[in-house]
Amino acid sequence: MTPRGRPVEEDDLHARIDGQLPRERSEDVEAYLAAHPEEQARFSQYAQQRQQLRAAFAAQADGPIPMRLRVAHLLAQQRRRQRRRFGEIAAAVCLIALGGIAGWAGRDLTGPATSSPPGSVARVITADAIAAHRTFSVEVRHPVEVDSGQEVHLVQWLSKRLGRPLIVPDLAAAGFRLMGGRLLPAEDGPAAQFMYENGNSERLTLYLRTGIGGETAFRFHEEGGIGALYWSDEGFGYAIAAKADRELLLRIAEIVYQQTSPDGAKAKIPPAPGKPS
Amino acid sequence: MGTAAAMMPVPTRTLAADEIGQPAVGCRCDGAAMRNQASLIEPHIPGLRRFACALLRGDRQGADDLVQDCLERAVSRWHLRRAEGDVRGWLYTILYNRFLNEKHRQGRRGVPDALLEVAEAELPGVDGGQDRALEHRDLLRAFAALPEEQRSALLLIGIEDLSYGEAARVLGVPIGTVMSRLSRGRERLRHYMNDGVDRHNAELRSVK
Repeated sequence: MTPRGRPVEEDDLHARIDGQLPRERSEDVEAYLAAHPEEQARFSQYAQQRQQLRAAFAAQADGPIPMRLRVAHLLAQQRRRQRRRFGEIAAAVCLIALGGIAGWAGRDLTGPATSSPPGSVARVITADAIAAHRTFSVEVRHPVEVDSGQEVHLVQWLSKRLGRPLIVPDLAAAGFRLMGGRLLPAEDGPAAQFMYENGNSERLTLYLRTGIGGETAFRFHEEGGIGALYWSDEGFGYAIAAKADRELLLRIAEIVYQQTSPDGAKAKIPPAPGKPS
Repeated sequence: MGTAAAMMPVPTRTLAADEIGQPAVGCRCDGAAMRNQASLIEPHIPGLRRFACALLRGDRQGADDLVQDCLERAVSRWHLRRAEGDVRGWLYTILYNRFLNEKHRQGRRGVPDALLEVAEAELPGVDGGQDRALEHRDLLRAFAALPEEQRSALLLIGIEDLSYGEAARVLGVPIGTVMSRLSRGRERLRHYMNDGVDRHNAELRSVK
């Protein structure tokens, strides 16, 4: 047993003024300070500044909590929003179903499904998103290039490469956690893919590209068991892909849309695809 | 993913639920759970407001917006917090991440530097009069000028009383990094204040 422990370091001296020094270190640290008056002076200055900053900011914590920050108020607000969102989703699901029926019924009248110019972009992006999903969602060791532990870096990097500030949607409300993302080559520029996973290890990817004109409603497409929902908004083309049905994708798409669109509170109502022109 | 059907109750049931004023989806909050949630979150709100205000250099309105954003997220994913984890660290982490997110989105648009106004508004009552008040002002100015990562470390540890480990988790960096930010931040403040004193003394000498 040594009379003195390991040498006293800078961290110990900070821990002393922060009240985080283990009691058994105390003796060593006091002895060190007694022998090093210049360190003693430096740290007593730190301690004084610490005290002054505490005093300066103390007032910010005083005063009653405003209503908008009360938990009861926030919970009530959340319930209202959930009710509204449910109404919107139910309406959208009904419209998609009706649209599908109408489109099928009117297929001979309108020829191949109304292919406006944005339609081809939608098809390309949807196909790319499904291909990327198929390639990377089965990866065990390298599902993503940058993982969610470096979310800030991930967002900065992909935003820089895509030339637009990106928002990584938080899908926790649907039980999906961000795993990370990667950069992908696309037709005429880079694309980004974010991957999410739920508690059952089911994976979902959000694929996005910039420079997409116009605003379209959600378009659903399925290929080889993988469903994808595409839409464009604010210059972004989005596609979410997963081994999932239309309802779940629509629910996720709503969440993404609400978080990424400046007027995300509005419902996104898809038109009937088979609408006669 | 067979869960979708479970998440989408049939519309008729929703209407019925709406009529009796019950939440249509996500109704996992009975009265007791709600009170429990409030009693676990609310004690930390004063500290969150203080931290947000200091992060935003004294912008109180913006600070409360940030806290609101943080709390909305906290209540909407309450079921996702780790059961054994402490609520305080979790809340500070959400708030800090929202802050970074927002900062990133706004880019480097000039933030009104309200910290000096805070200094003036809060400190005239400090005993010792003019000199002390000026010293506080200088200190806050120096603090506002610290790099964001050093400011956050100083705030979480020196003012919010988080342990080094907790602060590391909130900031998402190893403890060693927190310690070095703390150490550099403190030294920079000290340097600034001492320089200020030297400058002040030099001015006095030159007047004589």
